Amino acid sequence: MDRNQLIKWIEAPAKMAHKYSLHAVYFCTGCGIIEIPPAITARWDAERFGVLPAATPRHANLFLITGYVSLKTLRAIIRTYEQMPEPKYSVGFGSCPINGGMYWDSYNTIKHLDRYIPIDGWIAGCMPRPEAIFVAVTHLWTLIEKDMADGYKRYRVHYSEYRANQERILGALEWPPLFPKE
Amino acid sequence: MQVLRLILSPLAALVIGILFLGLSRKFMARIQWRYGPPLYQPLIDILRLFTQRSVSHGVVFDLGIILTLAASFVIVLFLPFGGLCPMSGSGGLLVVLYMMLLAPLGMALTAGESANPNSSIGISRWFILALGYEVPLLLVLLAVMTRYDTISLVEIVAAQRSHTSSIATFPLVLSGVAYLLIMPAVMGLRPFEVVQAPQEISSGPMAELGGRYLAMATVQHALSMFIGISLFVNLLWGGASNPLVFLLKMLVMFALVLWVNAAFPRLRIDQAIRFLWRWPTFVAFVGLLLVVVIGD
Repeated sequence: MDRNQLIKWIEAPAKMAHKYSLHAVYFCTGCGIIEIPPAITARWDAERFGVLPAATPRHANLFLITGYVSLKTLRAIIRTYEQMPEPKYSVGFGSCPINGGMYWDSYNTIKHLDRYIPIDGWIAGCMPRPEAIFVAVTHLWTLIEKDMADGYKRYRVHYSEYRANQERILGALEWPPLFPKE
Repeated sequence: MQVLRLILSPLAALVIGILFLGLSRKFMARIQWRYGPPLYQPLIDILRLFTQRSVSHGVVFDLGIILTLAASFVIVLFLPFGGLCPMSGSGGLLVVLYMMLLAPLGMALTAGESANPNSSIGISRWFILALGYEVPLLLVLLAVMTRYDTISLVEIVAAQRSHTSSIATFPLVLSGVAYLLIMPAVMGLRPFEVVQAPQEISSGPMAELGGRYLAMATVQHALSMFIGISLFVNLLWGGASNPLVFLLKMLVMFALVLWVNAAFPRLRIDQAIRFLWRWPTFVAFVGLLLVVVIGD
């Protein structure tokens, strides 16, 4: 952690601020909701890393999708992701958003979340321990420092593909495109 | 010299307000047996918010938050900060009283323009709460003004410095108690944290603020904490002759308010207003009556 190094703050203040102020929207479906409270309360205390739960997507820059993603929640996930101000980082938590996990043959859950919104990193496991969240946060710091956490840029560049994927699985979307075609 | 003081005073309030924000997070963390964020975490947050893309919902949305912030800065100009008071003319107390309602008013414009139902609920709660604490606050101010026979904050501080702090004298001790009871409501902390209430109404008026708008709202919150404590120290605890002693007194009061904040859960808005209009108002009213009857 280089939070105390003044020279880095002077060199790249915005990047350092994005690293050490990750306000998170937790999209808790299924068992993910059980794993988050220990991580943000007294036992593991995510706030010492600057990770704080945010009440609305407008305040947040970290999107943590914990648990399986059904078609209905995918709709809400896309809207939440699009409402977050850039730069924003999204992390899939648990094996369900990665490849469907134990819902691999379910008719009503999606198997690969990164086809619908860009994901900057995954935390594998069913369920991962709270320590895994902090390992993920430190990895995310490295990615932000190397400009590799560029999911929001990929969303902008490949928006038509993402939108096509979303419409293929959800049918017609009731909100207009985030980035209208030039 | 006057220009320097006009710049220095809001700047000091800003630094101390943000220090209070950081201190409150660290303090709460230690009470809950957590390690907590570093003291400068609010600075990191504000820097992050200023460098994020933000969404505006129209001209009134922009102007409302600026009005809120400006009103808070103007109040700070009228508050003596340990001998430093840029606007020390007479009648400072009345200006403070008027300006304190401008902060929710500006936020109401912003929240109304953002058209979020949570914001509307939050802003209506803020006005009801303001109605709740303005009545006892007015009674406290009237008592202090009557006791010292002046409406100037600087003269009130000077009068206390030549004798003793008003909270240590008999009738005004009641006003002091009343102010202590409403202080969490003035500062928007628990048990009167009904306006933001992240768990019920998703941050209320701030629900649609992102990026630099949220940064400005955070700065306003920091300033409102500064104002709430500074008013108490000036009116009832004798102010101070130099800024350092003043800061020390503010820190003591802030620790007290944070302890209340950590110990009590959030009230419902109807419970809050019932409390505010019952005990603080009663105590403040008795205090005012005694000040008038006993006189000099």
